[in-house]
Amino acid sequence: MAEPREILLDVKDLSVTFGTRKKAFPAVRNVNFQIYKGETFSLVGESGSGKTTIGRAIIRINPISGGEILYKGERISGRISRELDRKITKEIQMVFQDPMASLNERAKVDYIVSEGLYSGERRPSREEREAKVARALSDVGLLPEFASRFPHEFSGGQRQRIGIARALIMEPDFIIADEPISALDVSIRAQVLNLLAKLQKERGLTYLFVAHDLSVVRFISDRIAVIHKGQIVEMAESEQLFRTPLHPYTQSLLSAIPLPDPRAEKGKTLRVYDPACHNYGETKPVWAELEPGHFVLGSREELEEYRTRLT
Amino acid sequence: MDNNVILSVRDLDVKFSLRGRVLHAIRGISLDVYQGESLAIVGESGSGKSVFTKTFMGLLDANGSITGGSVLYRDQDLARFETEKQWLSIRGKEIAMVMQDPMTALNPLKTIGSQVEEAVLLHRKCTKEAARQAVLDILTDVGIQEAERRCHQYPHEFSGGMRQRVVIAIALACRPKILICDEPTTALDVTIQAQILRLIREMQKKYDLTTIYITHDLGVVANVADRVAVMYAGDIVEIGTCEEIFYDPRHPYTWALLSSLPQLGTRGEELYAIQGTPPNLFYEVHGDAFAPRNPKALKIDFVERPPYFEVSPTHRARTWLLDPRAPKVEPPEQIKLLRKGGGGSHGRTP
Amino acid sequence: MAFFRIKDRRTADLAEGLEQSAKREYTQKELFQFAPYDPEAGERGGYSNYSYWRSTLRAFCKNRTALIFLCLIAATLLFTFLEPFLPYAPEANTIYWTEKAEVNIFTLEPVLDEAGNPVVKTSRAVNEKPGGEFWFGTNAIGQDLWSQIWSGTRTSLGIGFSVACIDALLGILIGVLWGYVRKLDFFFTELYNVFDNVPQTLLVIIISYILRPGVGTMIFAMCLTSWLQTARFVRNQVVIIRDRDYNLASRCLGSSTGRIISKNLLPYLVSILTMRMALAIPAAISNEVFINYIGLGVPPEIPTLGNLVEAGRKVMMEPALRYQLFFPVIVLSVVTISFYIIGNAFADAADPKNHVN
Repeated sequence: MAEPREILLDVKDLSVTFGTRKKAFPAVRNVNFQIYKGETFSLVGESGSGKTTIGRAIIRINPISGGEILYKGERISGRISRELDRKITKEIQMVFQDPMASLNERAKVDYIVSEGLYSGERRPSREEREAKVARALSDVGLLPEFASRFPHEFSGGQRQRIGIARALIMEPDFIIADEPISALDVSIRAQVLNLLAKLQKERGLTYLFVAHDLSVVRFISDRIAVIHKGQIVEMAESEQLFRTPLHPYTQSLLSAIPLPDPRAEKGKTLRVYDPACHNYGETKPVWAELEPGHFVLGSREELEEYRTRLT
Repeated sequence: MDNNVILSVRDLDVKFSLRGRVLHAIRGISLDVYQGESLAIVGESGSGKSVFTKTFMGLLDANGSITGGSVLYRDQDLARFETEKQWLSIRGKEIAMVMQDPMTALNPLKTIGSQVEEAVLLHRKCTKEAARQAVLDILTDVGIQEAERRCHQYPHEFSGGMRQRVVIAIALACRPKILICDEPTTALDVTIQAQILRLIREMQKKYDLTTIYITHDLGVVANVADRVAVMYAGDIVEIGTCEEIFYDPRHPYTWALLSSLPQLGTRGEELYAIQGTPPNLFYEVHGDAFAPRNPKALKIDFVERPPYFEVSPTHRARTWLLDPRAPKVEPPEQIKLLRKGGGGSHGRTP
Repeated sequence: MAFFRIKDRRTADLAEGLEQSAKREYTQKELFQFAPYDPEAGERGGYSNYSYWRSTLRAFCKNRTALIFLCLIAATLLFTFLEPFLPYAPEANTIYWTEKAEVNIFTLEPVLDEAGNPVVKTSRAVNEKPGGEFWFGTNAIGQDLWSQIWSGTRTSLGIGFSVACIDALLGILIGVLWGYVRKLDFFFTELYNVFDNVPQTLLVIIISYILRPGVGTMIFAMCLTSWLQTARFVRNQVVIIRDRDYNLASRCLGSSTGRIISKNLLPYLVSILTMRMALAIPAAISNEVFINYIGLGVPPEIPTLGNLVEAGRKVMMEPALRYQLFFPVIVLSVVTISFYIIGNAFADAADPKNHVN
């Protein structure tokens, strides 16, 4: 896309370290990416790659140890003013992975969905709250009468939609979806994906999609970043990434995608990624844009080689 | 062909009593498992797929019981087993299981070597040295390098994939005839998942195993299965060879399952979505359990439970749509695409 | 809690509709036509009507022993508080007098006066055996043991309840802050270490010396340290659940700490806290007995179970007077054992893992 797009979220040099000095564990190291308004950006990686940590750093559950995060041009990491805090609490929302764990079992759906309203500047009146809850529930395809029930009465898919309704009631601009479908049953996943797509279309939402499954990610995202051990190794528009994966790790991930097609699946060849294939002893890898919108992490020689592959 | 049947299930009924109510978890399943094949049982959570295979090993929870039918294995009816002692002659030795989460299957306080050795000694009486050698052999078999050194390590020193390899080694140590893999790769990363599946396939050849996979992941099914059984609400709704199920499915539930996969979807278009949720098995199911969620359900689906209709000698489905009196219903687009090959837009790797 | 939830109207209608359509007779031709499809129908199905409290109640009622003890303790409590209002209920500290024929202590012959009649002497009704007049007998100074015991049980239960309540209140408040607010963790941990290293008995002894002995002092002394354990227990529970996804979700929604504590944390702890309180009552009572036993605590003019046990202990070596120990001990045992068994049974019943079956 040629026209300049509005940057909604800008992550600059982000590092997140867990633990104290002696046992410091860098979960995320110098990560850079931008998310444009209205797009779906996906972070893909295996467990322990730091993808969830990035999402949680943006929503300020995990404190960051380096770099900064800009939202609509304003810094939202570190110490921020009360008004800004309130504003981004409203505008950035999160959908969690496990719908069984992310709902308060001892509260009614009514309270769960309306919880966000209480943190606003004024308490909502009862009528207002009920109307908004009913609205949010029907937006996610649930019946308003469910408001008086407890979460355990619902199936996984319904619970996940309650989780989405809870985020929607804040009328956010930006939603971080942390593996929103991986804990769901196969037959339910499509419901939730369709719902997310529909909401994006209707409200112009921007998504950060955190996932481990490239095949799902391809279906929903505009751009994909592949993260390995706390570093983004490759980032590109999704078709571009699937067409010409450059980094060996991306290639190994792509080769492992399970396909629901016996012939293709039984004939596929696995590529195993071995970090030892890089020779980073002398030259530190750099983050370079090899074609418009396609970034790779690699040493100078590797980047040269990737370039020849592109042409 | 009948000579090759290693496990034969007939009209199996399993019920649980839960909080004073009865849950009908398995509603009359019949199934033959053939020697040397790999059978995949696909279903959502709550479809009863795990419960079904637990009946082969006497691992049902205390509040569950087999209320009808039989499970024949080598002239023994496992459904009639009552004592733990009877089960000990089957469990591990004849039928072994690989669970979803390798961490819970291993004892965190014992070394890997001693845990595998325990399993080896369960199977045969031999000297300490012979047992040690057997442990090393089997660990090497499942792809653990430097087995000599690693068998002195504890489970937490292993990565998730390596742990699952150890669990497989323990399962194989008793030389079982049937290996049940209950969601063997769900807890693992995608790249590891493919390696583990490959390993199980290799082991199947090497040890002459019959494998039964339980999974909800159709990618895994496509990778490993010779035959596929699709379960819904405690019943097998369709069973056939892997190609038949993927390229020529007949049950509306199988259609829905396949066509709702994001892998087969096209970006920007709506995925086919199954509305609603599976039935609550506390209530008696009338007719076809899937009917309330099926937009193309027939009236008879709500009245009478469909029998199996045979599509081919290996392919059966429980749906009234296969009845000659039923109107013709076309399978969804995605399935036709899959049949043509190339399957939608799903990516082939370079 | 929703003990009697009415099924949603529309769900009920739908179930009925399905039922009817299943019963309806179709012609052969009709059977193979498409049925009307209602996407909402599938949405309604498949919900369980599991209720936490109802299941807890059910699981508790399965435990026969606990039920028996529940009845026992309920009866005891009821009687304890009704006893003073019964007709002819004497005041506990009243000293009784009795007229007795004087006996020569050497010959054990009745002493006779000049007229040959036995000499009658009015004296305290000391150590009277249980009988028609004094159901539980009298004690060493001629008080009615029956009224003493019920009065003592009242006081002891009062102490037990007060200590348990204050203990729970303080313990929960501090425990939740300790567990949830990370900045306070260090402070409270150190505070705990300091207080926990002072032996409770020592503290109670010092306090009874400094302050005037009495029920209030006793409660104060026991509360001074007992909240520590509760706070630590609550803290550990909070630490277990504070980083669960649903709490993170509440933080993402901007909920205040107070709201998260009252809506997300405490409701999850309520069952274990109830159990702890049930166990704190007998613990406080036995504590009270112990302190009185070592001669500190409540002065003898206020009967408590502790005082009565202590008084009974003094005459323990005399077989004829052992009833003075047995009666208070029996009541004490009934109270503590009942609370203990009920508390444990409730803990089991409140554990959702036991809600199967």
